[in-house]
Amino acid sequence: MRQTYGKLLPGMRISDLTGKLIVIEGTDGVGRSTQINLLKPWLEELGHAVLDTGMARSTLAGEGLKRAKEGNNLGRVTQSLFYATDFIDRLENEIVPALRSGFIVLTDRYVYSLMARAFVRGMDSKWIRSIYSVALKPDATFYLRLSIDQLIPRVVFSRGFDYWESGMDVYPGRDMYDSFCNYQTALMAEFDRLSEEYKFEVIEASADAEQVFEHLKAGIFRALESDSRKEYISARGTKTLSISDLTANEKVAPAAQTANAAKFESVLRSIMAHSADGNGRTAQQQK
Amino acid sequence: MEITPGSRFGTFEVLLPVRSLGRETQQHRDDGFPGRLFIVEGIDGSGKSTQLSLLHKWLESKGYGVVFSEWNSSPLVKDTTKFGKKKKMLTAATFSLIHATDFADRTEKSILPLLKAGAVVLCDRYIYTAFARDVARGMDREWVRELYGFAVKPTVAFYFRVPLETAIGRLMDGRDELKYYEAGMDLGLSDDPEESFRLFQGLILKEYEKMISEFGLTVIDATLPIEVQQTQVRQIVKTQLEKAANVRVQR
Repeated sequence: MRQTYGKLLPGMRISDLTGKLIVIEGTDGVGRSTQINLLKPWLEELGHAVLDTGMARSTLAGEGLKRAKEGNNLGRVTQSLFYATDFIDRLENEIVPALRSGFIVLTDRYVYSLMARAFVRGMDSKWIRSIYSVALKPDATFYLRLSIDQLIPRVVFSRGFDYWESGMDVYPGRDMYDSFCNYQTALMAEFDRLSEEYKFEVIEASADAEQVFEHLKAGIFRALESDSRKEYISARGTKTLSISDLTANEKVAPAAQTANAAKFESVLRSIMAHSADGNGRTAQQQK
Repeated sequence: MEITPGSRFGTFEVLLPVRSLGRETQQHRDDGFPGRLFIVEGIDGSGKSTQLSLLHKWLESKGYGVVFSEWNSSPLVKDTTKFGKKKKMLTAATFSLIHATDFADRTEKSILPLLKAGAVVLCDRYIYTAFARDVARGMDREWVRELYGFAVKPTVAFYFRVPLETAIGRLMDGRDELKYYEAGMDLGLSDDPEESFRLFQGLILKEYEKMISEFGLTVIDATLPIEVQQTQVRQIVKTQLEKAANVRVQR
């Protein structure tokens, strides 16, 4: 059953959100967008409709936020609230409608990044949590983690220092390198705390992209197997799932079958494909 | 006394979104800010802006450093609000958040630093406008109050109280067509803008009435002659400024 972190926005129905909300989190430069660019075509190939979204991409506030960041006069409270506006616009107009249509929503960062950034800037925890109490709980959150030493070459040698990525507004150091290290270290500490609290699946992002991708695939399979589909999938026990298993199970539990029939098929296909790979969970379970 | 989240200013709960801001807000309550903050509230047509501009002129003539800040006027945010309104893409939640963002920018850049500098800050509409409108639009009462937990508590919050029909009568005399959000058309109360406006203002009025005791608003009878209201307002402001030793006078 879909839930929020405590409060529901006016007019938002969440009982019929059949899609899956998958969150990719992590600090700057850990390879989130690289992974999303791999995951999206992979999921689509398996027959899932995918919506990808990310911070500062809302129709309402995306442009305004970018403009506001061009100057150096965006305050800390204002910044937190501008991002909250952007997030809620995407939640109401992209994420929720997509989940209602049965999409897999892949989101590049979620409320956790916004919380971490706000905490590093001294915002009150209760205040931020109250704002995001209206956010949906995701089906899975993957936290791509890198140490600061590993992060520096990835970010700095590829695209140079950015004012905001270096947290110049909070850690004005002698130069951007000092600021970058202080800021990203503080962010990581917040992410680590959030990871414990919200039970992120931690993936070591120091591995090469291919390995990280494999980890993510396995994790996403687990997320897709949960909830309403669980009763069907778990019925397969330790043997390989076949079409006949699925049809048989559908007779046992007819309630959700019509609504989810199309989706079962795509899940089934993904499981079959994954199993055929020989490197996924299904295969592991057989051992 | 250390103020922690959950502490209250009168009936107003403090949430301290910025830890340092929290300390400053505490000082403000203890009259630690040299400046003073006076704000006006009321439904459209209550005459509050007229009263505030008369107060502004009077304070300037007395030599105070006076700064005026208007609802929805942050140079960083107002274009986004305007865009959202024009495209009718604001929901109750994003309407609430974008106005809070605008208010945050004005708090961080002008209201708070100017109070520290010893100015008299005047605001046309304050957090109570958001509380009234957002709740009328269906937002959770408590959520909206927490959202504005970073606001500085005004020295005096004037509420210009006027019956709905009087306010609407004043407004409808030779004014332009009502705008979509102004008329509360997004609430779906009525297809007729004027009727929708009437119903929406009624809801807002109800929220204001509840806030009088919740936040200790200073009620001014806005049906009285303008001069009478202004005399009352000036008397209250004068009393406050006489108590404020550190307000800066320009000459």
